[in-house]
Amino acid sequence: MRLVGVAMHVERRRALAAAVLGRDPDPPRLTADDGVMLDAVSGVILDVSPHLIIVETDDGDEERLVIAPWATAWRGGATAPADLPIGSRVIIRALRSGKVVDRIWADITRMTGIIRSVSGRTDLAVELDCGPHRGRRSIVIPYRSSGRVRVRYPKLEPGYLFDAIGVIRDGAPLVQLPATSQPAYRAGSVPPPPPAYGGAQSKISGTAVWSDFTDRGAAYAMLERSDSGCEDAGVSCAGLPYLALGSMLYVRNVCAGRATALPIVACGCMAGRFCDRCVECGTSPRGRIVELSATSYVELGGDLIKGCFNARVGLT
Amino acid sequence: MSETIAAAAQPIVVFMFVLGGAAKLASVGSETEPGALGRLGPAVLVPERFRGPAMIFCGVAEFGLAIGLVFFDHPIPRWMTVAFFAVSTYVLWDLRRRRPDVGCGCFGEVSGRPVGLRSIGRTVVLTAMAIMIALHQTSGLPGLSWTFAAWFGGGIMLLLILSPEIEESWARLRYRAPCEQRPFPADRALSRLRSSTAWRTHYPMLRSEEPSDSWRELCWRFYAFDSVNGSDVVFAVYLSGRRPPVRAAIVGADGRQAPLQESIPVSA
Repeated sequence: MRLVGVAMHVERRRALAAAVLGRDPDPPRLTADDGVMLDAVSGVILDVSPHLIIVETDDGDEERLVIAPWATAWRGGATAPADLPIGSRVIIRALRSGKVVDRIWADITRMTGIIRSVSGRTDLAVELDCGPHRGRRSIVIPYRSSGRVRVRYPKLEPGYLFDAIGVIRDGAPLVQLPATSQPAYRAGSVPPPPPAYGGAQSKISGTAVWSDFTDRGAAYAMLERSDSGCEDAGVSCAGLPYLALGSMLYVRNVCAGRATALPIVACGCMAGRFCDRCVECGTSPRGRIVELSATSYVELGGDLIKGCFNARVGLT
Repeated sequence: MSETIAAAAQPIVVFMFVLGGAAKLASVGSETEPGALGRLGPAVLVPERFRGPAMIFCGVAEFGLAIGLVFFDHPIPRWMTVAFFAVSTYVLWDLRRRRPDVGCGCFGEVSGRPVGLRSIGRTVVLTAMAIMIALHQTSGLPGLSWTFAAWFGGGIMLLLILSPEIEESWARLRYRAPCEQRPFPADRALSRLRSSTAWRTHYPMLRSEEPSDSWRELCWRFYAFDSVNGSDVVFAVYLSGRRPPVRAAIVGADGRQAPLQESIPVSA
């Protein structure tokens, strides 16, 4: 079957599905129970002082934000906001209509993929396969971080999954923290989801993680391969239902009590291969149910350093 | 003869009430996915915060009618049963028109299959049975005879044939995954679409036989086609069952659904 310009139609899918099935085409209104969303600003630092930071956002606008006295920053480690170098790429959690800085993450990146090769003796150079849509990525595990990474990733060998948080220094991603423990299985041997005996889809709870992509929205694992153009899609150990690019997901941060509706904008084929749990607040059920963009993750009250929050999703 | 039919219909109607009421109350309490309750039955037509209470009210009303039919020899519960099924028939017809994706919810979450003529036919049959009961003022426990057994068995068979829940119950007995989680090849769904009445009705409008877009969401696969007048023709194919429901709509560039009568060209 020849599908012409699938990407062009993704935006329109919701309207067409609503028309044919009689649904409400508008996104659902959020209620008081969904909490108040935080603001997230993503951009590059143009200037910074102890009380003010000027950022050029991804849209090209210049934003001036007041730095709160309690605000902290992270750039491979805790630091004062005023010490961040100009030109750093930052993600800011902001309060008061997005004008007061609460927390800054600078040059942060997430490295999720399948290990393809490992080389080096002190600083380890690792080649990651981040999926068909994200390609390959070369990362470095510096000697000072290799101890804590090795504890969580005892089998740093090709074919196993890897997930870590780090910083980008001089264009090279450097691993700082392991984001999860290493799955005991190889990337090609993802355990099947628990059997669903009931006819209706059970409540979907699990782990929400973040990734580097910039579009506001979520990456989702259970997409049909023929629709999404992602050869590795459709694998998940969380028992997720099939959805499509363009579907709206209701994502709730169970820990922070915040929820919002987000569109599915990417294939989450790597997230689907992890069967880990999040212990941010209580122990979540197994499996990554959704991979959020960094800004959406921050808006929902997540901490980028912690790497996950306990989440519940539903189709709006 | 008609008294025997009424006597045979009464235990069937009571059994349906008890089964439906219990299934509805169970589905309200079950931990289904957020929003799943809204896809079950006429509850979808009320505001979201009333959906749970509406389901509970309906279940309790069914129990109340079952008790009234068995223990009270009075016309009120009998004619209330007629009214209940008559209103249900209208509501299901309206539900099919307004929300083609939701199930009837008659037996809780087992009735997730979109409302079709079988579900509506079942409520019509039950309405007829209720009218027979009301006209002959049947109450209490019936006396057994061969004619009674034949009508009783025939009534049950008719309701089983008209129950789409049988396939879903069979799937559950086989421990199949819910259809939202089952892979379904797009080509197979397309062949089902092309053998449907909706396809034949809208085929003259299509600019090409190849879809301009296709995607899957839960139990539905959607196909969008460009039409000759510039609007989109979108089909939704249900991905479960042998003769799955197929819905179609014509959507203008502004995202609004075009009326069917204006869009289909009439040929001489």
